[in-house]
Amino acid sequence: MNWVKLSRGDAVVWLLAATLLVSVYTIFWQADGHGAEAVVLVNGKRWARLDLFQNQDLDVPGPLGHSHIQVRDGQVRFVNSPCPNQLCVHTGWLNQGGEVAICLPNKVSLQILGSDPRFDAINF
Amino acid sequence: MARTLQTTRDDYLIAGFAALAITIHIAESALPSPLPGIKPGLANVVTLVVLCRYGWRMAAWVSLLRVLVGSILIGTFLSPTFFLSAAGALASVAVLGLLFALSRALPGWAVGPMGYGVAAALAHMSGQFWVAYAVFVPHSGLLTLYPLLMTLAAVLGIVSGLLTRTILARLNSPPPGDNPV
Repeated sequence: MNWVKLSRGDAVVWLLAATLLVSVYTIFWQADGHGAEAVVLVNGKRWARLDLFQNQDLDVPGPLGHSHIQVRDGQVRFVNSPCPNQLCVHTGWLNQGGEVAICLPNKVSLQILGSDPRFDAINF
Repeated sequence: MARTLQTTRDDYLIAGFAALAITIHIAESALPSPLPGIKPGLANVVTLVVLCRYGWRMAAWVSLLRVLVGSILIGTFLSPTFFLSAAGALASVAVLGLLFALSRALPGWAVGPMGYGVAAALAHMSGQFWVAYAVFVPHSGLLTLYPLLMTLAAVLGIVSGLLTRTILARLNSPPPGDNPV
């Protein structure tokens, strides 16, 4: 048998393999989808549940002071926070399911609720 | 009254090829790998060569013996590594069996080493991955790794297919000299 040439069967297998590969990327790499709700946690406990499509501003109390949170048009972010590094503020706008912004010093965190929570638990 | 075990020629061939595959497997296990458990899978070349020259049944024996004996010799028998390895081998043997049967049923569409190599590699990786996900790391974060692992498997499958093809080509033309193939 001549093994050197690529046979028709090989071509079929490769085609199926390519299809499988593409579909695997599509299925496992798609973003969680736009979130509709966010949850604010203070000290690990749920403090508020926010509708992302109701524009609002909140002051969330923490040990260091108040973290200011803003909801606008399906997105939410930390506007300012009494922490030295401002990492929470620099995270910017969250809108996809599973996204989080955390202010560790003030023990406040924001998470967009999606179908598949990206983190099982957040502990400070 | 003593009863002797009748050994056939096939038994010797299986033993010989399995020994070859096991040796390659152990030598390869000494190489460092960037990700845990990801190996080039060079021992699979033996499985593929046996598949193409002797059929699926012998290839299945060689593959499963390689996983079993290899794990005993390396010392990972019944460890998580062993179960992942076994899952991969079983999946790959099953897929090869399917393709082999289809190749026999439709000779015009017979699959060759290149096709077998890629199919076996993807099946092997999938078998390992899903057992790892189901039993060891049931976290959704692992799923993001699947496409990357499959891409790697496809590439390594092509490599093993190429190696198999080269070996088969050399085996079909006996080398000059007194060494019969």
